[in-house]
Amino acid sequence: MTLLDGVKAAVILFVAAIAQVSIFSQLHVFGAVPNFLLVSLVAIALLRGSIVGAVGGFFAGLLVDTATLGTLGLTSLVLTLAGYWIGRYGETTGRDRAHAPFLSVAVVTVLYEFGLLVVHFVLGESAPAGAVVRSLIPAIVLNLILTAPVYALVRRLLRVAGRDELTTEVQLLG
Amino acid sequence: MRRPGSASPRGRYPWAVATRSRSARAAVLASSVQRSKPTPYPSKARSALIRRTIVVVLVLLALALLTISFRSPSSGPLHSVQSAGSTVLRPFQIAATRVAQPFRDAYDYVDGLANAKAENAKLKRQNEQLRLAALVAAGKLAKYPAYERLLHLEQGPSFPSGFRPVNAAVIAYPDGTFAHEITISAGSSSGLRLNTPVVSGDGLVGHVTNVTPHTAVVTLLTDPQSFVSARDLHTRVRGMVQNGSAGTLALSEVPKQFRVVKGDEIVTNGTQDPRFPDIYPYGIPIGRVSSVGVTDTATFLQVQVQPFANFGSLDAVAALVPKRHR
Repeated sequence: MTLLDGVKAAVILFVAAIAQVSIFSQLHVFGAVPNFLLVSLVAIALLRGSIVGAVGGFFAGLLVDTATLGTLGLTSLVLTLAGYWIGRYGETTGRDRAHAPFLSVAVVTVLYEFGLLVVHFVLGESAPAGAVVRSLIPAIVLNLILTAPVYALVRRLLRVAGRDELTTEVQLLG
Repeated sequence: MRRPGSASPRGRYPWAVATRSRSARAAVLASSVQRSKPTPYPSKARSALIRRTIVVVLVLLALALLTISFRSPSSGPLHSVQSAGSTVLRPFQIAATRVAQPFRDAYDYVDGLANAKAENAKLKRQNEQLRLAALVAAGKLAKYPAYERLLHLEQGPSFPSGFRPVNAAVIAYPDGTFAHEITISAGSSSGLRLNTPVVSGDGLVGHVTNVTPHTAVVTLLTDPQSFVSARDLHTRVRGMVQNGSAGTLALSEVPKQFRVVKGDEIVTNGTQDPRFPDIYPYGIPIGRVSSVGVTDTATFLQVQVQPFANFGSLDAVAALVPKRHR
């Protein structure tokens, strides 16, 4: 991970956070809102690993909470864990799998929605579980629709790690 | 022994694997050679520690922010920082909104078109329901004056003592020009009997000529076979009210020497002799004298009476049931 990659990832997440707050949050389709930021974070975490995913999730969440004047740290907490988990998945079993972005987005959408629900519930705020459950399927579908173009764009912007960065030694067996 | 190219127990990265049954090219590759990255790669344990430390720190930081922000949502230094951050982000949000506005308008337009048909059908259904409700309400409102007059009659001083009112709705109207009967929604179970007098809020209507447990047939005053002993309320002249011409009534059997004046009110005469009780109690309004005629050859006056009750639009009536059955 180079400095340039870090800057690119930061810019992508900044734009995604602003777009999420200003544009996507107002698109209600079948009671659900597409989460452009979450899909972008998943793409970055898959391509750049758990540390970038966690840090990116933290600061993207901070941006969202700041822009919406919401409870600071709430979105950060959920996105940090989501970014870290997806990053680990990308580093291990999900590496180079074509279905990894879609599977990650589907799973993390569920975890994100329920994570936010749990945090709101713990804070004693309004936590309508029924509404979350009803909008879950449309939310997954919408996020999956966003996944292919967003992942392709992020992959194009963030250079895929070269082989020299991945394989540094050859070991003899037997 | 592992197959060539399969993953080693230490994982696919950062080491690759070669076997002893190698070719000359593979033999060259087999030796442990440092590749293009000269910097030593951190061990797995160390990178895992760093990774976990970072995520734990971030989670703790998020929890700290959450706690502080939740405890003082509208004041404190964190709120000031958040406000400042929001102010900084505001231009970006406005710009994003402006960029997205044409797309949003297009989406709203398409969405509106898609929903227009369903909305149209829904509004039509709603309109139909509202129209029906308005008709029902208007119908009820139209009956209200009749109910009010009936109530006024029942609670007024002219209501005959010794009787109690049994209110009923008119459920069937005269069937044809020559029919002079209505059906009401009260019957013998409510105390109605044959010849029970029936009034509306305006005056006398007729009497019961057929009764079932829950309905009764009332023969109107306009029936040719209906006769009511009546008197002029002002001159005390007695006569017999019966069917007249053109929907009016006639006060017959009034000798020429008695005086009846146009405009006088005609009421029921009631029982004069207990041996011959009348079916109608005294004092129920029947109508008003509309004309008085006299001829040299006739023995009686020709008195035309305009009935108070509108027999063509009766909605609610009251049957006068004696408090003690005779």
